[in-house]
Amino acid sequence: MRLPLLAVLAVLPVAGCSISQPSVPVGSYLGGDYVAVRTFAETQEAEGDVENLAIVLNVKGQCQLALGDVDAARQTFQTAAQIMGTWATSGNEVTAAIVGSESSKTYKGDPYEKAMNAFYLSYCYLQKGEPDNARAALKRGILMDGEVADEKFQADNALLFWMAGRMSRLFGASGAEDYFKEAQTANTFSIEHDARGDVNNAILASPEKGNLVLLLPIGLGPKKFADGREEELARFSPQSHPAVRAQATLDGESLGRSWILNDVDYQASTLGGTAMEGIRKGKAVFKRSTRIGGTVLVNEGLNNLDSDEGQAAAIVGGALLVFSALTSSAADVRHWPTLPSTVQVLVAEVPPGEHDLVVDFLDGSGRPLPQLQHTVRINVPSTGEAWFLIPSLPPAAAKP
Amino acid sequence: MLIRSVTVGLLGLLLTACGSTRDTRVNPDAADSVTGTGLQSMDIRTMANRMAADIKEWGVLAPTSDGKLASFFIYEMVNESSDTINKMLVLTKLRTELFKAFRGRIDILDRSPSATDLSNAEQRMKQRGEVTGANNKKVFGSDFVLKGRMMSRDRQAGKLKSSYILVTFELTDLATQKLVWTNDYEMKTESERSVINR
Repeated sequence: MRLPLLAVLAVLPVAGCSISQPSVPVGSYLGGDYVAVRTFAETQEAEGDVENLAIVLNVKGQCQLALGDVDAARQTFQTAAQIMGTWATSGNEVTAAIVGSESSKTYKGDPYEKAMNAFYLSYCYLQKGEPDNARAALKRGILMDGEVADEKFQADNALLFWMAGRMSRLFGASGAEDYFKEAQTANTFSIEHDARGDVNNAILASPEKGNLVLLLPIGLGPKKFADGREEELARFSPQSHPAVRAQATLDGESLGRSWILNDVDYQASTLGGTAMEGIRKGKAVFKRSTRIGGTVLVNEGLNNLDSDEGQAAAIVGGALLVFSALTSSAADVRHWPTLPSTVQVLVAEVPPGEHDLVVDFLDGSGRPLPQLQHTVRINVPSTGEAWFLIPSLPPAAAKP
Repeated sequence: MLIRSVTVGLLGLLLTACGSTRDTRVNPDAADSVTGTGLQSMDIRTMANRMAADIKEWGVLAPTSDGKLASFFIYEMVNESSDTINKMLVLTKLRTELFKAFRGRIDILDRSPSATDLSNAEQRMKQRGEVTGANNKKVFGSDFVLKGRMMSRDRQAGKLKSSYILVTFELTDLATQKLVWTNDYEMKTESERSVINR
């Protein structure tokens, strides 16, 4: 009778460290309470599961950006990038994730999440006046976006290529034309494969145009969930959000509408099958088989408890049921919950100097969403470019 | 007895499995246990030491025969690689190593915007008589400028990737625009992605 107990204890150390998705207050984030969300992230950073550090850092970085603390955001995204970009994994972590729960591993994000970290990090470096480091972040993001298992969907993030081209021009490096060409190819390919956007994208048609650039993360990104009989399949579902595109005015004059350069939902759904998916499916079969076998043996044993064979069947059946219960085939569904659904871009050629910029986010019917309107006094330099990141979130000042 | 020992052992393992941490002071010249493909502390230190020693050995910044010290400033480091880096970390370390290598027998100029601002503010305060000191010194001119450039070649296929990083430094004579010294530092890393991250 001690053997089943030992079996349980043997499995517990590896199966006992399952890490769940941090309960980021997404509603507060969407409602513009960035201080509360940042505080949550900081608490998690200090006291939460270290395996989730990159998730909470990315959320914290977004809040810091929304609150206007770009320098702090850069350091935060940089730390997250270090975690997400490290390939090395300890043997213990691999064993725990394969034998026990997959979600015991350090969250490093899917390629689309790594690409979004690179996007935010590059913007922060640009604001620091370092377009070379901004391009370095984008190059890293392009490489990480290429980590998807399905080769045909590698390098299909037009946003990163286009920004890398713009950064190259800003610090006088070569390669801008190649990046612009790649951006066009990526855009055409992704739209042919059901991404949202336009083949005749005005931004990519004149990729070097404009001294005012608005980066517009819009909507709410996909949610990752577990599917399948044993929750062994990782799937994504789009999330509803009223904003779908944007338009802007400068000193009352229309600057036109935004163009999609990155469909985050599409990027998530084209991840392709992973090696871990195969392992989880195998574990699911094992979990089901041991459960069925264990149930049969326990039933047989209970019906013949007066015989030695019956007692043995009950013990073995019980052990199988314990193994089944302890085998976690569930997919790791931790994800970056505050990502946008798309990243859109609006560029314009405007006179240098101070201007009143108004950005309106529109719903599916083209109606402006007043609570998301941003009015900003901007300064466009006489040489160089002015870049602004304005998400479809309430302005920080709107909250007391 | 055996079963009891195994049970106690497994319980101990269970208790420690979820929570071992460390906080240790390590040698900055040791290989980084936090892995990744970028420059590590040992690279930055080695690079700075090596460049400072090489510049000194070449003699381009040596004082002239009449004892006049050579002057230079560090202009910038351009990062063309795929690895973001704090450029000031590299340049400041190099400047320090150069100063140490020449034992101060060199004029290193601070041409950063903040130095210009501070210098102008000090001059204004002296002009207004708010602080003591002469106000007739001119800003030093420079004989040379030191620049750096970091590039990388990244390759990725399946579960493997490699990253080759080349950091080049060059010293230019500002009177003649002649490149009087250059040297580089190379490093390469290879990584294999774990099955749990694929």
